[in-house]
Amino acid sequence: MIRSAFASTAITVGFCLFVLLVVLVPVALLYPEPGEVLSRFLLGPFEKTRYMGNIVELATPSMLTALAVVLMFRCGAFNLGVEGSFFLGGLTTAAMVLWMPLPPLVGIPLALLAGAIVGSLVCGIPGIVKATTGASELVSSLMLNYAAVFIGLFVLNYYLRDPTAAMLSSDRFPAEYRFESLIPRTRIHIGSIVAVVACIIGAIYLNRTSQGLEVRISGTGNDFSRHLGLNSVALNIRIQVIGGMIAAFAGGIEMLGLYSRFTWQNTTGNGWTGVIVAIIARDNPILIIPAALFIGYLQVGGDLVSRAFGVPTEIVSLIQALVMICVTSVAIFQHPALRKFVQGNRGEAAQ
Amino acid sequence: MQMTGDETAPQKALVEFREIGKTYPNGTVALRNVSFQVIEGDILAVCGENGAGKSTLMKILAGIEQPTQGTIHYEGRQKRIADPNVAGDMGIGMVHQHFSLIRSLSVAENLALGQEPRRGLLIDRRAAADRVRELAQKFSLDVDPETKVGSLSVAAQQKVEILKALSRNTRLLILDEPSAVLTPQETQELFEQLRSLRARGVTIIFISHKLHEVRALANRITVIRSGEVVEDGVLSEMSDAAISKLVMGVDVTRASRNQRDLSAATPVVVVKKATVATGDSDRRIDAIDLTIRAGEILGIAGVDGSGQEGVVDLLCGNVQPDEGDISLLGRPMALATTLDWRRAGMAHLPGDRFQIGGAPHMSLVDNVMAGSHRDKQFTRGPFLRVDAMVARTNELIKTFNVRCLGPREPLNSLSGGNAQKLVAAREFSSNPKFLIVNQPTRGIDVAAAAMIHGELLRLSQNGTAILLVTSDLDELLQLSDRVAVMFDGRIAVVLENDGLTPERLGPYMLGLEKAS
Repeated sequence: MIRSAFASTAITVGFCLFVLLVVLVPVALLYPEPGEVLSRFLLGPFEKTRYMGNIVELATPSMLTALAVVLMFRCGAFNLGVEGSFFLGGLTTAAMVLWMPLPPLVGIPLALLAGAIVGSLVCGIPGIVKATTGASELVSSLMLNYAAVFIGLFVLNYYLRDPTAAMLSSDRFPAEYRFESLIPRTRIHIGSIVAVVACIIGAIYLNRTSQGLEVRISGTGNDFSRHLGLNSVALNIRIQVIGGMIAAFAGGIEMLGLYSRFTWQNTTGNGWTGVIVAIIARDNPILIIPAALFIGYLQVGGDLVSRAFGVPTEIVSLIQALVMICVTSVAIFQHPALRKFVQGNRGEAAQ
Repeated sequence: MQMTGDETAPQKALVEFREIGKTYPNGTVALRNVSFQVIEGDILAVCGENGAGKSTLMKILAGIEQPTQGTIHYEGRQKRIADPNVAGDMGIGMVHQHFSLIRSLSVAENLALGQEPRRGLLIDRRAAADRVRELAQKFSLDVDPETKVGSLSVAAQQKVEILKALSRNTRLLILDEPSAVLTPQETQELFEQLRSLRARGVTIIFISHKLHEVRALANRITVIRSGEVVEDGVLSEMSDAAISKLVMGVDVTRASRNQRDLSAATPVVVVKKATVATGDSDRRIDAIDLTIRAGEILGIAGVDGSGQEGVVDLLCGNVQPDEGDISLLGRPMALATTLDWRRAGMAHLPGDRFQIGGAPHMSLVDNVMAGSHRDKQFTRGPFLRVDAMVARTNELIKTFNVRCLGPREPLNSLSGGNAQKLVAAREFSSNPKFLIVNQPTRGIDVAAAAMIHGELLRLSQNGTAILLVTSDLDELLQLSDRVAVMFDGRIAVVLENDGLTPERLGPYMLGLEKAS
């Protein structure tokens, strides 16, 4: 089993490299100095501390959203509410910071907790609706993302807006609430450490606790957990609420780590990146860490060639999309829950 | 090796294996010096335990695997069967135990796959459908070419598999445990079809665990044990005992039940007038009365879909009765969930070991410990004591003789028989007061079946009340103290098993007789 996990990791790494070259080489050839474009994309992100810092900054929120996605997928819930949870989590944390006159040592945890609770609704409600009415959590969570954005914009516009600012944004956060940079010349903040630790805790939870075992059993399909007498309905709801909390918490951390005001006017895409990372990590919490860093690295590399040579940043999306296709096409054949979902209902055995 | 042949009939070897050997790269020797002939026009049964090498040999013949030694001669000429296409061109078709059909495609599309009739760039669907009709008529296998495979019953899917195997002028048809997925009635029908194929000149090789099926169908038998041919001859010249001795390498001691008087034993499960009127029609039950006493094995017989599954659902807590009462050791259970039943001492070996009884992609440890993962013994606070779990798993693997590479292997790397033993190990080791076993030995080999039978009898001697649901009448009559026959969701009769015979049960199973 350990060997097979290693093999699938090796396959994934192979796919990533393969796709990277298949996309990059032809694109680079369109430019007068193809070698420069390639090396800028591939090696550029490691040239400066600042660029490497950018990789970590980009990877931080997606590690947490990916962890949320992995937990829910492993439990058999195809909930895509992370995007909305992230947005509402960021908004609520911002609002708490602005409205609550508390010392940061108390205020920051409280603001993050409030963000987590409010944001968890976007993942939690589809879970409850699924349990009570049978409506697909995939559809209802996707739709609820939009509701979350419009509720957020309403609150921003009518309650948080700084009337003196030229754009739609909240007041400035008090300086003492913002996370300090841990490494000079980067904006790496405490959230990165939190994210890595969270992934490790996630792995321990799934593999080394009684409830984690129930989550994994529940994710393999209802028949086995029903046979054992597990209450997988309650567990499913619980995991979706926890997943929503983690994603919303990530939104709060992002807000306090990288922003001075709340300026989001749409979902940020960190949730979607989390889904991509979760799929590349093959639903393994530990592998989320390298997968998120890889996606961050692609984004930084794409940014660099875009600035230096005018290469469209869409090639990063193209690479991501192709990596996704390769990885999921394998995953569909291997992942029982995903296969079950794709086939609609109980498919035949793997052989 | 002993060669006995039917000297009167003219014989021509269609296939001859000469000293075939197969060693896998990891050193496992699957076959060693296998030499025998397949006579044209015969139905040859290839018997052997799980893992004896019979499937490997058939895969070599079908071009799926290559031998590491020896040669195959087909119609007297040496042939190299490089891949299944070559085998197909030679007229060899194979029906696998696990179907290789695409469920979302129609029968015609499945059969055309790889050899699609074309009109220009497009597939000529009408020609494909016509071809299926033609084939179906030729071999009198009745299937509709337009139906989606996924909507067919298992038996009908198997017909499609057979048609597919026959679609290329097939002269030799190989079937790997064709009856494992079929009910006895469907098996009878399959055998009729195979006999008529033989009458049309198709030579048939079939792999089976079940002696009575071998007897019913084959005229020759080849027994393989640990990769070697230990017997090859005419079936009618061999006794059942001799064959099972050859298969196992030792005499099989069939677990047998002692006649006991259990009328005074404590009733463990009492069901009174229980009715389930909702759900799938073949799971509905109507005013069921049942009592299972401590130490008793109550067998349920009946044509498949007569409500046996409904009784299982009812007594493991999958459904609650619309009317009627159930109690377990005096405790009312009519509203109980599966968890309540389990807490009260129920265990359940389900009919489907990979879908219901286990999680195929999870490790043996996870599969064995699921259910007891909250026991104090295996936890420290919220955490699992993985070392204790692995130790326990190893212990059960040993006691139940599960053949595997280690406790961390996924369940689906095990053969059907070993997976069943593993699931049985989990359910039996909880010292249940009440045990439900549903088709406990379907599709598994003689040795594994004997082991599970032995365990069932041991549990019943220790006072466990056991409900046995099986479509294998031999098994039913061998183990049960009493037999309840179901028909159309009702219990037609409950009979003491003092020398019951299948003939006695037949009229009740078919609804011709009812208890007065």
